[in-house]
Amino acid sequence: MNKLIKQTGLISAVLALFVACGVNNVVIDGSFPTPNISKMPVSIAVYYDDALKDFAYLEYSETGSEEYNIQSGASHMQLFDAITPAMFDRVVFVDSMEEAQAAGVDAVFAPAIEEFQLALPAKTKLDVFEVWIKYNMRLLTPEGDYIADWVLTSYGKTPTETFRSVDAAINDAAVVALRDLASSFSLSFGDVPEVKEWLAKQ
Amino acid sequence: MASFHFSSFFRRRLVASVLVLLASCTSTTVDEFRQGETGINSEEAVVVLGRRQASDYETRSEFVECVGDRMGRGDNAIRIVPEQEFVDAMFPWFEPRTAPLRTQDLEKLMTEQVVADKMNDFGIRYIVWVDGFTETSGRSGSISCTVGPGGAGCFGFGTWEDDSNFDARIWDVGSLTNVGTINADATGQSYLPALVIPIPLIARVEANACSRLADQLKEFVNGS
Repeated sequence: MNKLIKQTGLISAVLALFVACGVNNVVIDGSFPTPNISKMPVSIAVYYDDALKDFAYLEYSETGSEEYNIQSGASHMQLFDAITPAMFDRVVFVDSMEEAQAAGVDAVFAPAIEEFQLALPAKTKLDVFEVWIKYNMRLLTPEGDYIADWVLTSYGKTPTETFRSVDAAINDAAVVALRDLASSFSLSFGDVPEVKEWLAKQ
Repeated sequence: MASFHFSSFFRRRLVASVLVLLASCTSTTVDEFRQGETGINSEEAVVVLGRRQASDYETRSEFVECVGDRMGRGDNAIRIVPEQEFVDAMFPWFEPRTAPLRTQDLEKLMTEQVVADKMNDFGIRYIVWVDGFTETSGRSGSISCTVGPGGAGCFGFGTWEDDSNFDARIWDVGSLTNVGTINADATGQSYLPALVIPIPLIARVEANACSRLADQLKEFVNGS
């Protein structure tokens, strides 16, 4: 019986090793500074849905096998946690739309990631790693009705370096893309026509 | 026995000299174009920033850091604000998408009170924009390595050329004008002979471009 348990354990360990060899998990990790901009006189609830919280992108090799699993949900939340309090007079982070309604805010901001693309030097033949991310930014009333809905894209790249791993380069390019998102979101928020109209009414 | 040691000693010295000679096969040209008067006092600082707008290359932050480090050392050293510290403190105004591309953009940016205050806190007198990259071309030769029961070894010869070309534009934050441009172009041939062990003889092209550009920038900013 003991022998059988040992054998099963060994097989599981070998299988786990093979699975681990199949795909590289890259968890995006970076620090995001607070923007130096004037605050808007509104109170906002920030709501991250499960799709954003658990967002991961799978990059496939040319043979069709899973090559990189890029997990960026946590870093996106970290980014919005850092920038929104610098943009608005009052910010509350909520776990549900009901909670947002109870918080007595002017609007709910709910970002969503629509698309993620990765370009590796091995495929593009360029000496840079590139990351593109497309977002759908949604501003809703506390009751969940539409105020504004706009698309933002961000881009980040980092050059190839001799003693840097592919994982580290992907992370660096993603962090540049996230900073790009933070800069364009914080500077263009008030210029979105529907948002501008809504801000004028507050 | 004594003569063997003697000749062996000289042979090693000769090989070392040839290696140093080959490794230092780099030529560097620096051009300066001055458009305005310069000068800096001890309370003022310079920030060296890399341009990252090009689609097919990116100015490496290590090169930018190298130029800044060298400007901050030695005679007539200048106070340098590290690039990342400056960009983070100025966030989101100096990101690749938002950074000013012309002095007119900087003038507009300085109307933002928060930007003007931060610039003043750092004591920035000059912004140096470094733009360029190192390109490798002319790769030739081949090296093959084998591993056997008796040991391992590599045989062959490889060579390539590196070309570093960097521009540095100097903006005067006081007058909000471009006061000059310095260009550093360094080329060098690297060799990799392999006789059992590969011996890399690397031309320090980027390092030479960095040191020459930094020295020239230091003189330029000091007004000498």
